Amino acid sequence: MEPAGLTVVTVALDVEPAHTRQWIDAAAPTHPSLVDTRHVTGELFGFINVPMAVWIDESGSIVRNAETASIERSPLQDMDIPDGLPERLTKIFIEVKKIPDDAAGYRAAIVDWVADGAESAFALSPQEVVERSRPRGASEAEAAACFELGQHLRLTVGDDAAISWWRRAHELDPDNWTYKRQAWTLVTTPEGATENDLLQGPNDVYAGNWLDDVIAAGGGAAYSTRPMLAGAAHPEGGCEHR
Amino acid sequence: MIITDDRLEQLRAADFADETGWAPKPEGLCRGEICVPAPGVLRDDGTVDALAAAARLGMPALRDDRHAVTVVGPGSTTGHTLSTAAAPDPELIDHDGDPFRLSSLHGRKVLLVAWASY
Repeated sequence: MEPAGLTVVTVALDVEPAHTRQWIDAAAPTHPSLVDTRHVTGELFGFINVPMAVWIDESGSIVRNAETASIERSPLQDMDIPDGLPERLTKIFIEVKKIPDDAAGYRAAIVDWVADGAESAFALSPQEVVERSRPRGASEAEAAACFELGQHLRLTVGDDAAISWWRRAHELDPDNWTYKRQAWTLVTTPEGATENDLLQGPNDVYAGNWLDDVIAAGGGAAYSTRPMLAGAAHPEGGCEHR
Repeated sequence: MIITDDRLEQLRAADFADETGWAPKPEGLCRGEICVPAPGVLRDDGTVDALAAAARLGMPALRDDRHAVTVVGPGSTTGHTLSTAAAPDPELIDHDGDPFRLSSLHGRKVLLVAWASY
């Protein structure tokens, strides 16, 4: 898509740049590949989970706000759950397989926008972009402040200094999965915040964990901010902000 | 944005704008075409009364007394994450540690994709 005028920019919302390295090295990106250790793009653009994306036109205007942005069907969707897994891992598989697959439609929408620009049915007006962006009330704003302060104290003081502020962020904005997933992944190893625990299981530091929080939120089917792919003219699509 | 006590009274307007997306100007706090009146926020010496600015924009300001640091959270003039369709342009870093701004891609379509190692 680069010759057609589209530049892909990836941004990792990761407080530990080292955790991104193996993925970036494996991908060997030729596009701008950014690391957002403060989650500032989450706050500014409204990323509350990953993967999500926004579209920005040639003039610097957002034409689609933050929404789930898979362009390939996850192989986990079609994979049989292996026998003999620990019960908790089996349950994680079950919920992951429930996550809606909008990849083909989202990919086609990108192609349409690159070809037709502002005439694309998927390019929204400035008013629509603002109105479709995630509602932000006092709780969400305070949660963002708490997360940022926790991140700052983790960096400048130490791991423990972040915990009370991140707990508060989780309480104030339980639908923000990046706040929770970021925190869980840093505490669930026996060694503490020295590894990147992708299972994000129960821990003694935070109230939640990935599996139980996903189930409490309505299961994998309710886990993502689905793209409203019907476009501006046909807003009956499936997007909703939880 | 994070403001340590020693920086609170010397915060420059440009830094406030870079961190929050709201530029302190004589006419108010501005983002894109929107300006919120904010008399007294921009001082004559070019510094900003950050707490007053936060209050004008409905941004939460929290303080950690033990570590002598204040954080100003995001505000909203629309009740939504976005106050305008103008894309924010914070200074970011690439995976080699070099600075990067989305505005450097002006004139091209951009698909900004958020991911994480977790």
